[in-house]
Amino acid sequence: MENYDSFIMRRRLLKAGGALAGASTLGVLNPVWAQSAGRIVVGTWGGDYSKLLAKNIDTPLLVPKKYEVVHDIGGDSERRAKMRAEARLPRGTSDLQGLSAAQMYEMNDAGLCLPIDYAKIPNSKFLLPQMKYPYGVGHIYSGKVILYNPKIITTPPTSFADALDPKHGNKLGIIDIQYQFTMMAAALASGGSMTNYEPGKERLLACRKAGAKVLPTNEAMAQALQNEEVGICIMWKARAVQWQKAGAKVDTVAPKEGIPLYISGFVIPKNAQNKDAAHFWLNEMLEPSAQEAFAEDMGYNGSVTNAKIPADTEKRIGFSAEERKRLVDLDYGYLAKNDSAFKDWWDKSFKG
Amino acid sequence: MADAAAMARPVSREATPERGAPWTAAAMLAPASIVVTIGIVLPIVILLRYSLNQFTPAKVMVDAVTLENYTRFFTDPFYRAVLVRTIRVAALCTAICVVLAFPMAYCLARTRSRFKNLLLMAVILPLFVGNAVRAAGWMVLFGNRGFVNSVLLGLGIVREPLQIMYTEFAVVVGVIAVNLPFVVLTLQSVLEGIDRAIEEAALGLGAGPWRTFRHVVLPLALPGVIAGTILSFILAMNAYATPVLLGGPTFQMMGPTVYNQFAGLTNWPFGAAMAFILMIATLLLTVTSNWLAQARYRR
Repeated sequence: MENYDSFIMRRRLLKAGGALAGASTLGVLNPVWAQSAGRIVVGTWGGDYSKLLAKNIDTPLLVPKKYEVVHDIGGDSERRAKMRAEARLPRGTSDLQGLSAAQMYEMNDAGLCLPIDYAKIPNSKFLLPQMKYPYGVGHIYSGKVILYNPKIITTPPTSFADALDPKHGNKLGIIDIQYQFTMMAAALASGGSMTNYEPGKERLLACRKAGAKVLPTNEAMAQALQNEEVGICIMWKARAVQWQKAGAKVDTVAPKEGIPLYISGFVIPKNAQNKDAAHFWLNEMLEPSAQEAFAEDMGYNGSVTNAKIPADTEKRIGFSAEERKRLVDLDYGYLAKNDSAFKDWWDKSFKG
Repeated sequence: MADAAAMARPVSREATPERGAPWTAAAMLAPASIVVTIGIVLPIVILLRYSLNQFTPAKVMVDAVTLENYTRFFTDPFYRAVLVRTIRVAALCTAICVVLAFPMAYCLARTRSRFKNLLLMAVILPLFVGNAVRAAGWMVLFGNRGFVNSVLLGLGIVREPLQIMYTEFAVVVGVIAVNLPFVVLTLQSVLEGIDRAIEEAALGLGAGPWRTFRHVVLPLALPGVIAGTILSFILAMNAYATPVLLGGPTFQMMGPTVYNQFAGLTNWPFGAAMAFILMIATLLLTVTSNWLAQARYRR
């Protein structure tokens, strides 16, 4: 009998221990979780962008409201692959994913994005119309401009046609990962349009034949400009501003054919675990203080109208009234439909 | 009956260890088998299945059983050229690695110096640094304003910086630097096992150093040469970081191209087919070269 009682006692103790362990695992007894308003997993690029999200949004705006924000850092292609791989799971591993506008379109086209409930984002009333997608919210934007070193390129270019010209020989630099925008700029320079990149191909092949350098990344281009290996390229104005700040002796010109927009924003995966918190994070992302800090720190224009950007910053990163008229958005449907074919041509015919 | 039972007992007692042996062996094999099954076999089976699917940009994959991804690879001259380039680079790097590693491994195996352990550490030390970090080091050397070009320009040997980065030469140098320690260590362990007296006997019987090497040392070291060759060839065929960082965007090898299909173009079926082709090509070439080498020295 004694043995039986002690057996029962032992079982009760084990049960109680198990329950305690389970509760602690689930966070019931964890003081951090007990007080937390929720955990938000933000998929984002690493480096400066992730640091600035933490500095300008997470730490000042989310943490005081007891949210725990975790960054899932990776390149956009890896994170897009992850979204696709997780599509069949009822609960995904991220609540938000930072992507370019073209990639947001692509992910929505694949049926992976939650429709944005703008009623849950009060700050969206200040959102620029181009930044308001049914499936995502624009965060920052810049435009594709021409970057050149006046010491090497003595006649200032005015258009994509001037920049993507075989006459520059091996002083023209082209960034491999920006194949879409390069093909688009070449198309605009050769009579093409946002829905027809074909006319630009011949121009690009002529540039390559004349010795144009293909560099793997934006960073490699920065280095090539710095050591004067390259004298001219096309680049986001925001990046140009960063490089100028770092000491590169380069000037920028807004091309007369039009300034293609680069928009970066966030989508909520359909299987996000904390959809309400994700909406809240998006609302805080649009806070004027966060937008102003991003403009100052990163050189990108904000996506809201109520941010007060200092005049000198605006002059550096923004576009004049005349230039703003030339800002052109991409045809994301055309891009998504043809991207695979564009990359194929780029790898085989242009680089090959 | 009782007698029969009595007779059976000792037999069964004797049989106990034999019956237990398979269980012991199974218990020892199980952990590794489970890891291999979950970590390698299962993903390979999934990859094979993916390679038979169809690609559509919006959905990535549509369930199907088709060989179109394999057909596309072999009918497209671009992808065939990528495979041939990969095999060429892997073969060249392996040949150079074996030639460079043999004398090094021989010296290490035969030295009686008290610094032998230090020399071995010097060979192992590069393995402490990741491939990408080592490639970054080569980038510093090979850049237009890098060490090599600065020296050449400084000495007046060249007037314009040489284009070393983003060339096949840079990739070959980078891959050799990665693979060489593996080949040296493989060869050194085999050469250590060859009795020095055999070489002395050959020399004593009038064979010169070259003849001794060719007819005595090399055949005995053949298992090490084959193992080193296989190791280096497999590593070079599947190289990723070195071709990406030193080869740049215009020098394409299979590893980065497979990755690009998966991550860049999200064409998983074609990426899976390419991964399989790379795996089969590596396996076939490895087995064939192994067989040829053994056949040559069996004669």
